Amino acid sequence: MQRTLRLPHPSEFKTPADALPLLEDLLEEMSQAQDWPVTLFMRANLILEELLLNTLTHGDTSGLTAIDVELECSDNRLTIRLTDDGAAFNPLTDAPVPDVTLPLAERPIGGLGVHLVQTISHDLEYRRADGRNHLKLVVLPES
Amino acid sequence: MQFSHDRSGDTLVVNASGRVDGSNASDFLDTLQGLFEPGDQKIILDLSGLEYISSAGLRVLLMAAQNLDKQGKSFSICSLTESVGDVFRISGFDQIINVFPSVEAAK
Repeated sequence: MQRTLRLPHPSEFKTPADALPLLEDLLEEMSQAQDWPVTLFMRANLILEELLLNTLTHGDTSGLTAIDVELECSDNRLTIRLTDDGAAFNPLTDAPVPDVTLPLAERPIGGLGVHLVQTISHDLEYRRADGRNHLKLVVLPES
Repeated sequence: MQFSHDRSGDTLVVNASGRVDGSNASDFLDTLQGLFEPGDQKIILDLSGLEYISSAGLRVLLMAAQNLDKQGKSFSICSLTESVGDVFRISGFDQIINVFPSVEAAK
């Protein structure tokens, strides 16, 4: 099963978070059609939220005109492909790595989003080509 | 998100259900902070009805936990759903915040 979604320029939304219901609807449809385990839905939703809000809110978004989302799933193995024409950003190397072993009082607020993506996803691949970011990753219901 | 709460002596139990993501995390923080009263010594957050949490929601929980910890108050979370428990494990939040299987166990 395969679905695609094109998210327009951030200025089309009142706030970047307004893009989230579009993703949820798409995931709901696939999840119900294929009877996904609840953890697959959760992990996919989390990864897409973190990556899209990152692209829509961090760094230079002036050149960004659209984000293309492609989802393909069979046998509870979901492949996500994200393409955008914003500033170059490689989530594998360009995000700070938070120390998740710090005790409560020393835990910094934030910085968790990309870490969660790196932890949950499999076969994460990034390349910059044709002035676009191309990200591909696989989500499974269990680690 | 939907909220309800129950105060008994110095213990406050807050039930938060629905979804917390980048669109409503700041409302979640405001609601939580609005519920806390100076006399509350033990705060238990019942998440049995929470279906989804992203890093925006985890940030709110971390801020609440750190603030209450500084004030010498007890903060715990209970009754995680399978999907939210998954995110707690991945993020290491189950190591820094007390998590219990039920409200009774958290009391």
